[in-house]
Amino acid sequence: MKRSVISTSDKKQIRHSARMGLLLVIVAAITLEATALVQLYFSQKGIREEASMRAESQMEATRNRIMDIVNQTEASVRNSVWIAQWALNVPDSLYRVAQRIVEDNPVVMGSTVALVPGYLRSRKLFSPYVYEGEEGLVFRSLATEEYDYPSQEWFTKPIELDAGYWSEPYIDVGGGEVLMTTYSLPIKDRFNRTAAVLTADISLNWLTDLVGSVKVYPSAYSMMISRNGSFMVCPDTSLVMQASVQDVVSQMEDTATFGELSRAMLSGNAGNMTVSYGGKRSSVYFSPVERTGWSMSIVIPENEIFGSIRKIGTIVFVLQIIGIGMLILILGSLFKSQVRYRELNERKDRMARELQIASAIQMSMIPKIFPESKERYDLDMSATIVPAKEVGGDLYDFYIRDEKLFFCVGDVSGKGIPASLVMAVTRTMFRTVSAHEESPKRILTAMNNSMADMNENNMFVTFFCGVLDLKTGHLRSCNAGHNAPLTLTDTIQPLPVEPNLPLGIVGGMDFRDQEIALCYDDALFLYTDGLTEAENIAHEQFGEERVEVVLHGRKSADAHLDSIRKAVTEYVGDAPQSDDLTLLFIHYLGHPDQSSDVRRIVLHNDIKEVPSLAEFVESVAEEKQVSLEVTTSLNLALEEAVVNVMLYAYPEGTRASVEVEATIEPDSLIFKIIDSGKPFDPTAAPDVNLNAGVEERPIGGLGIHLVRTIMDEVSYERRDDKNILTMIKKI
Amino acid sequence: MEVIITKQENEVTAQLRGRLDTPASQDIANDVETLVGAAGGTIILDCTELEYISSSGLRIFLTLRKAAAEKGGTVIVRNITPAIRSVFMMTGFLNLFEIQ
Repeated sequence: MKRSVISTSDKKQIRHSARMGLLLVIVAAITLEATALVQLYFSQKGIREEASMRAESQMEATRNRIMDIVNQTEASVRNSVWIAQWALNVPDSLYRVAQRIVEDNPVVMGSTVALVPGYLRSRKLFSPYVYEGEEGLVFRSLATEEYDYPSQEWFTKPIELDAGYWSEPYIDVGGGEVLMTTYSLPIKDRFNRTAAVLTADISLNWLTDLVGSVKVYPSAYSMMISRNGSFMVCPDTSLVMQASVQDVVSQMEDTATFGELSRAMLSGNAGNMTVSYGGKRSSVYFSPVERTGWSMSIVIPENEIFGSIRKIGTIVFVLQIIGIGMLILILGSLFKSQVRYRELNERKDRMARELQIASAIQMSMIPKIFPESKERYDLDMSATIVPAKEVGGDLYDFYIRDEKLFFCVGDVSGKGIPASLVMAVTRTMFRTVSAHEESPKRILTAMNNSMADMNENNMFVTFFCGVLDLKTGHLRSCNAGHNAPLTLTDTIQPLPVEPNLPLGIVGGMDFRDQEIALCYDDALFLYTDGLTEAENIAHEQFGEERVEVVLHGRKSADAHLDSIRKAVTEYVGDAPQSDDLTLLFIHYLGHPDQSSDVRRIVLHNDIKEVPSLAEFVESVAEEKQVSLEVTTSLNLALEEAVVNVMLYAYPEGTRASVEVEATIEPDSLIFKIIDSGKPFDPTAAPDVNLNAGVEERPIGGLGIHLVRTIMDEVSYERRDDKNILTMIKKI
Repeated sequence: MEVIITKQENEVTAQLRGRLDTPASQDIANDVETLVGAAGGTIILDCTELEYISSSGLRIFLTLRKAAAEKGGTVIVRNITPAIRSVFMMTGFLNLFEIQ
């Protein structure tokens, strides 16, 4: 079963990341789209401007061409005005005038001089007309019943306007379905009366070609409408002169727009509009042609204008979608890897936490506070372990039992968790074994045998164990492959130790105790090779010389360790710590010979030690300045009590000790005799019968009687497997 | 501890010099043998220079006294110092010995 290892806070954070990812995608999409839209907008604007420019320039060019012809036509008419004026009085010569106009101007297809009805008395209606027929010029009068020229627009309008006038285009049926227009100009006589109208007909076939040829875009087309809205030029030729704009507008769906457009065009305005026609949007550019009242327009379908840019827009859009899709994929995979990374991190954190706990457990096995030593005047101790990893294989331990300091330093082969487990086992074993052993060699032997038995992983421990009798300064020690501690007396020297094999290698090894005596102010410095083998970046070792240099001088145990640690840290610099580092400093401050109040002597269970006891008692008595008599009796009582222990407390042949402690009180001397022998209460012995005769008198029993007699108080207790006989002599 | 034994016919004098403590009592075991052998006569224990005596010493005294009682001899303790006297007193030995 797969178990989620992600914590709630991490889940929150993951949700947050997911939200951020989504936000990122949205922002990216919006930015891309906005950029594209802005680009599109400006591109369209530019393209539209360009289209507009192209349309307008085309229209301008077309208009100029038209105006050329218009001007030419108007000029041809105007240039003939004076002749016409002159010819008014000779009506028949007016044919000549018209003929001249037609002949002199290639664009002019026909011309007439139409007299205002009644101007000449002789001829009520007269309008000689000359035009280009298929076989040369044709002369004809327009004053016919059917035609009634005075009512024609080309005649009435110029008179009405008193100016030149371009007629509505028309289809000339007579001359073969030709689109025509007529320019008419009123002519005045000498009296400034309007006498006639001079005209010139021009064909507009060229206009169809000219306007039809305007092709701004392939599918664009041009149109020309007349002043009245008739189609002059139109792609749909069926409409030409057959329909007007107004007719078309009425058929359109979007009547309003088309209506507006047609109004604008018919009013002679220039401009452009966008219209919809048959589902397609088109731009219409329109511009008037002066004087004629015509309006030219160019129609460009929008998809023609924006076709390419829309294609580009589509491509851009597709690319954006692909880009955002890829962004989502990338974010997704990032997100997944983030989740995986978090899981790994979580696992790593948990391991680190467990290691931390393991480290705390390990450190809690080691006495870190030295309450006993702080309370003791005869001992100043300090110790430290700095593991290279979270947990290490170094150990130290110490405790005080029976006024003896049991201590050890060890270094398990290897590092890390395996070493730490062995370290824990070693430390437990030390405590267990030393609880009922006082001899280091026996402690080591027992530990070695147990460890060799269960050593399947070939782990071993270098180990140094010492038992310091705090009352006497007597140090017994035993070494198992550990580096020799340093003794700090007047000089600093390694303690002479037997090397021996480390613990756990071979069972059944024999160890031997080694003994020295420590005096007041002597010190022991124990360490693991993590100290001397600490390497700097150049891989040079700290070495023993440096240790000795740092240890010089008298300082507290704490201060000594501080300076050692500082020296190593400085020496090592940035190089990583390669091995566990353990330091144990024991400064002995006991007075084995004389302490301030309590005097002690430890004697072997051998009566040959009695003179030493006597010396001890005498020195105590002398200090208290008691009389010789009392001294002698104290001597006697002590001898009796101590000899009793020497002879009877231990099994015969056992080497053991008895300890005498004297406390000098202001009004008394208190002696304590302490032994670890079998329980025996001398005060419980029956008193001797002093009045018995020689025969009845027992040989023994006198000693305890003397003690009772000499001492003021005698009491016995059994404590910590020890016999303690307390004797008080009031002085 | 030093024991100087001088014999005159039926009388043996032992000069006890020094401290008769537990180890000393063991050391003079031979001399004690000698004296026990002379318990049929008069044993004079000259304590002029005996500085100290412990119960083991007293035991020697008692052993000699018992032997003398057995063999019909006499043990005379001569010239005891006040220190030894007080020990004799504490142990009731003053009543057991003829002290000169």
